[in-house]
Amino acid sequence: MNYFVIIYYALLIGGSCLAAHYKKREIFLLLFSLTLASFVMGIVGRESALWAVSIGAGLLALAAGIAYSFREFLIIISGPLTARALRTAPLTAAFGMFVIFTYAVLGIFAPIIAPYGEAEVISQSFAPADENMLLGADQLGRDMFSRLVYGARNTVGLALMATAIAFVIGALLGMIAAVKQGWFDQIMGRLIDVVMSIPSLIFALLLLSIFGTNMIILVIIIGIIYSPRVYRLTRAVAGNVVVMDYIEAAKLRGEGMWYLIRKEILPNSTSPLIAEFGLEFCFVFLLVAGLSFLGLGIQPPTADWGSMVRENATLISFGEITPLIPAAAIAMLTVAVNMVVDWMLHRTSGLKE
Amino acid sequence: MANKGNLLLEIEDLRIEAYADEKWFEIVHGVDLTLRRGEVMGLIGESGAGKSTIGLAAMGFARDGCRISGGSVEFDGLELTTTSEADRRRLRGSRIAYVAQSAAASFNPAHKLIDQHTESPVHYRIRKRMESQEDAMELYQRLRLPTPREIGFRYPHQVSGGQLQRAMTAMAMSCRPDMIIFDEPTTALDVTTQIEVLAAIRDIVNQFNTAAIYITHDLAVVAQMADVIKVLLKGDEVEEADTESMLKNPKEDYTKSLWAVRSFQRSQKQRPGDGVPVVEVANLDASYGPVKVLDDISFDIHAGMTVAVVGESGSGKSTAARCITGLLPPTGGTIRFKGQELPPSYLNRSKDQLRQAQMIYQMADTALNPKIRIGNIIGRPAEFYGGLKGTNLKNRVDELLDMIELDPSKFYARYPPELSGGQKQRVGIARALAADPTFIICDEVTSALDQLVAEGILKLLDRLQKDLDLAYMFITHDLATVRSIADEVVVMKQGKVVEQGPKDVMFKPPHHPYTDLLLSSVPEMDPNWLSTLLEERGVDNIGEAASS
Repeated sequence: MNYFVIIYYALLIGGSCLAAHYKKREIFLLLFSLTLASFVMGIVGRESALWAVSIGAGLLALAAGIAYSFREFLIIISGPLTARALRTAPLTAAFGMFVIFTYAVLGIFAPIIAPYGEAEVISQSFAPADENMLLGADQLGRDMFSRLVYGARNTVGLALMATAIAFVIGALLGMIAAVKQGWFDQIMGRLIDVVMSIPSLIFALLLLSIFGTNMIILVIIIGIIYSPRVYRLTRAVAGNVVVMDYIEAAKLRGEGMWYLIRKEILPNSTSPLIAEFGLEFCFVFLLVAGLSFLGLGIQPPTADWGSMVRENATLISFGEITPLIPAAAIAMLTVAVNMVVDWMLHRTSGLKE
Repeated sequence: MANKGNLLLEIEDLRIEAYADEKWFEIVHGVDLTLRRGEVMGLIGESGAGKSTIGLAAMGFARDGCRISGGSVEFDGLELTTTSEADRRRLRGSRIAYVAQSAAASFNPAHKLIDQHTESPVHYRIRKRMESQEDAMELYQRLRLPTPREIGFRYPHQVSGGQLQRAMTAMAMSCRPDMIIFDEPTTALDVTTQIEVLAAIRDIVNQFNTAAIYITHDLAVVAQMADVIKVLLKGDEVEEADTESMLKNPKEDYTKSLWAVRSFQRSQKQRPGDGVPVVEVANLDASYGPVKVLDDISFDIHAGMTVAVVGESGSGKSTAARCITGLLPPTGGTIRFKGQELPPSYLNRSKDQLRQAQMIYQMADTALNPKIRIGNIIGRPAEFYGGLKGTNLKNRVDELLDMIELDPSKFYARYPPELSGGQKQRVGIARALAADPTFIICDEVTSALDQLVAEGILKLLDRLQKDLDLAYMFITHDLATVRSIADEVVVMKQGKVVEQGPKDVMFKPPHHPYTDLLLSSVPEMDPNWLSTLLEERGVDNIGEAASS
């Protein structure tokens, strides 16, 4: 028994007693079950297990703290309408926004933040981390940290563009189909069914091997592969909008299709589309990373998280975590985007009441 | 009436709050209410008066986003605001029942009527399943549903609206509750169907000596149903008295204003001697797929006149409007506009032809795009047809907003969801006017509105007609509206024109039998109207003898 263990248990037990006294059910249950679990862990794993628990709790608290302050910060700097929406955001969504914000800063200011160029060889291959290289070197001796920062720009930028293309194509066709109906709707629907029936990764591999792995071609192909899902959603949402009387009124006025889509339908389908954008972005992002891992995505020496995982994969057998860092970067962004999207989905479904 | 005994429900100083804009607002400010066994209380008031909220609070229930913040609700000795949710749930369905406005939305479309009927008695173990089915059939018979032994085995979409509402009343009766809350049960029904439902509800409530709270905004209806009437305004009680004295001498000004609503009437105009009619419908036929919905319809609408098209739902009056606007190309016959034949589909009509005929919709909620500002909604037709831009456009919109009596500085930049029902309907009118039309189709424009608001809209339409010499085609099932603003009346039934002519002729006998049925079905303020009418029609009126 040393001071750490004593303070550890004293804090937990004291906290549970306070929570019980003030009738905070959830907090009490959490703290007390943690206390009981700690007894077992303390006996099995000794002091180090308790250290791990404290560090984990500390990190969680830190993340919550950052999320909370970031949300308050956003509320203060934004206008009254956005501020009202932001107040409903749970801490997870705020944390997601913070992560996205960090990634955006990394991507935009990559050349300033990164200490070395993305293709610059500065050391031996697989050199360990030192004061020059925060995360060590990769298989060619390039700085891992710099490549990670540039990767944010390349991978996220590419995924963003591909999603945007998917949305422009899918949403536009979906709304046209909803307005026109009849044969156009039928033909589009069946065509989309055909595209959707082919597994996306295999379809992408096929198209890329036909057209070559140019950056622009890559973006367009991914955009086209993902547009059917957007089409289906838009078609369904717009289908609910076109039956409203205000659309009938606009049609009787003699308005053209473009006006109907732009002014009448689009503003009434934005919230589900924005939520879908977040989800779709994650899928596209993973597809880009997957393609890079297979060697058909972004081509070297351009830094990209997917290919960084593959290139450094050999290190895993030596017990090094280096290849897991870009993988973690991918996971982190996906989780963050999903947290924000969850909140937005909740909001849009709540607004319908 | 007999057996008006002990106290059943006692509400004291009831306060209810609603959550909006991150604050709690009080929407019911201390209302008292007492109901004895077997008594029927009518709650009336315009929308937003808190009638439904109080009705639900009588079951100890508050809607999502609302809470009971003060006062007490005592049902047969049990305080509902403090008992556990489980206890309250046991009461609901077994001792207190609720009949909602829209039976179609309240029944589960995936189950047969009788299965839904037997659910609560079986759940509360009041009756076995088979007993409960027998009981349902008996109730169906008492409520005069056709083929009472078979109708329960149909699905909700297989019976008509009036039958569904009666089936719902039977369902509310399934556990023989002490109290039923009727929330506008006939508002969505035609006058002819309404009578059947009213008579059925009144009989069954009398037979079982059930207490009831009857919520409605229709005074004539409440006069038939209630023993006591309570008038509400914005969450406050205005006055309460028994039906007779309330109808004869209301004390408060607000109550008097409610009574006076039906008095608006304008002088009838005669057809101009020779002129070409604005709209001339001749031998029109139309069908949805193989179903023929319009059969040889002909009528004329002259400039500056209002032609009311009346009939029950399904009579084809809205379809006639869809044909005139070109949304549903007719299968036969012609539509002439100022002597010129119109192409059947709106797609082939010229911009000017589209401009001259405008439409105002029943549901202002769905007729205005919620994401466009009022100023732009009204401005678009002026911009589209008149080519107005910049300050000219802004001035025109301001002028239109003034015309519909909405302050331009306040309303220009607002969105439709921020407006009340009556204001939205006014914006709908302004949008039609912005096109500078000569002919406007008004499709049930007042039927979704309270009487006071509806009256305002009718007066507005009348004034605009005088100022701008507009021709109206006024589609409605409400004969009170017809009486107040029509010049000519067209009566439709099952896709055919039954009778047509000037209003004064139409409202004087002799009538076509169907017109007679429609006219006699409009509820009147006289509390004995329903009984007298039923006697005249010779409907066998069970239970009436028992209660009187």
